[in-house]
Amino acid sequence: MSERRDALLTLDDVGYRYPGNERFVFEGLDFSIGAGEFVALVGGSGVGKSTVLRCVAGLIEPATGHIETPPRTGKGSRPSAVVFQDTRLLPWRRIRANVGYGLSGLGLSRGERDARIDEVLDLIGMADLGKRWPHEISGGQAQRVGLARALAVRPQILLMDEPFSAVDALTRTRLQDELLAIWQRLNMAVLFVTHDIAEAAYLAERVCVMRGTPARVVFDERVPSPYPRQRDDADLNAFAQRVADAL
Amino acid sequence: MLGRPNRAHPNALALRAGASRLRRLVLGLAGVAAFIALWKLAYIFNWAPRGTIPDPFTVPVALLNEYRGGRLLPAIASSLVHYVWGLGIGTLLGFVVGLLAASLRVFDEAHYMLARILRPIPPLAWVVFAIAWFQVSHAGAAFVISIGVFWVNYFATASGVRDVDPRYYELARAFGHGGFFKRITSITLPGAAPSILSGMRTGVGQAWMTLIAAELLGVPGMGQEMNSAAGVGAYDAVVVYMLAISLIYTLSDGLFALVENRALRWRP
Repeated sequence: MSERRDALLTLDDVGYRYPGNERFVFEGLDFSIGAGEFVALVGGSGVGKSTVLRCVAGLIEPATGHIETPPRTGKGSRPSAVVFQDTRLLPWRRIRANVGYGLSGLGLSRGERDARIDEVLDLIGMADLGKRWPHEISGGQAQRVGLARALAVRPQILLMDEPFSAVDALTRTRLQDELLAIWQRLNMAVLFVTHDIAEAAYLAERVCVMRGTPARVVFDERVPSPYPRQRDDADLNAFAQRVADAL
Repeated sequence: MLGRPNRAHPNALALRAGASRLRRLVLGLAGVAAFIALWKLAYIFNWAPRGTIPDPFTVPVALLNEYRGGRLLPAIASSLVHYVWGLGIGTLLGFVVGLLAASLRVFDEAHYMLARILRPIPPLAWVVFAIAWFQVSHAGAAFVISIGVFWVNYFATASGVRDVDPRYYELARAFGHGGFFKRITSITLPGAAPSILSGMRTGVGQAWMTLIAAELLGVPGMGQEMNSAAGVGAYDAVVVYMLAISLIYTLSDGLFALVENRALRWRP
């Protein structure tokens, strides 16, 4: 496969097993993500796709192999930022404070932090809800706030762990379109973990499939349809079918 | 409900809420009146050894006497000194030790056995040492009070800290709050706050319970006044101090509840 862009993130023969466990969850993972590229990682439950994401985020150490992460660029940014499935908003912080959670320690002044929070709240269309507590907003809004919290640190790669799987279908399609619009506006790569094939095919430029015990990447292809995509596009559906077969 | 009134019948709802509140008030007062009536009957028919049940209707007079005699306010003030010091020291130490126990494994392992040995000892058992070390003094009473308060806060803090959802710590690491200090302030303390504060509030009550007992031994305060009043058969004065304790406890607990609600207003 030809690399369209310079690799931003590279996994080199990466494997993981839980501490004290002989059996690898996955091993021999070799793939890279280019700057600004949108990659979906698909797999059944228990295949370790969220664990891959945690390794990439630096939250856990892989047992084998090496992960080349993006260098820290400039003031006020982090190389990567995570969006969790369970939103993980801190209930004791108002929405604004949740969005600004990753901004401390980045050398930003209070004014710069406030401006950054306003900017991303605006981006997710929640500019007027910053004073609310997390329990006062809907599930879809909470997911948007989780996204805003990650965007606020201007990551080079956004790591999304099944971010839309806990919201209703209507909200999900809306959030997917919002994510695409934001991704196209900001120059950042996305690693999107999901078990939903249609979602992966609709969103990503490239889809990777993990399968087996221990799991490996068994499928890694570009999505043929250009943006903007139609959900009922024939090429897209044919591609989704091939992903399903690989699973 | 998010505080929105029912749009269909806002007046009817308000009316019903008002009626229900009135009913509660009336029944509550009726309960108190019934108790006083029973008390009066006990007094008239001598249900206890003669002279040990005061006439409820002379309690207001006794209150006036205690006040005019210059005993009531100094006793309250003295008790508050023990209370504030004992509560403050016990709360602070209980919080710190509980926090350490739940966040430092070495500390936890080194202290759990000691805690298990010391925990069952009732605070009042320490009175003997309080007298030996501090004589009959404010410090001695505060010491005894602080012991009971310490344990309440120790357990509340330790269990609150242990129960903080570990997923929040992962979030903290992902967003640059992985260091000890940032983790404690941004996750541990706010996450454990409901338990810590409820422990503190229990301590506010617990301190009163031990306060009076500690003072019965002769340290100036309401407990001592009760003891000396009982010594001369002035049981109506004893009741005055009991009611004073009840009133001050209600005030301090209500005050703390305000602080607690303010600090935890993020809760649904």
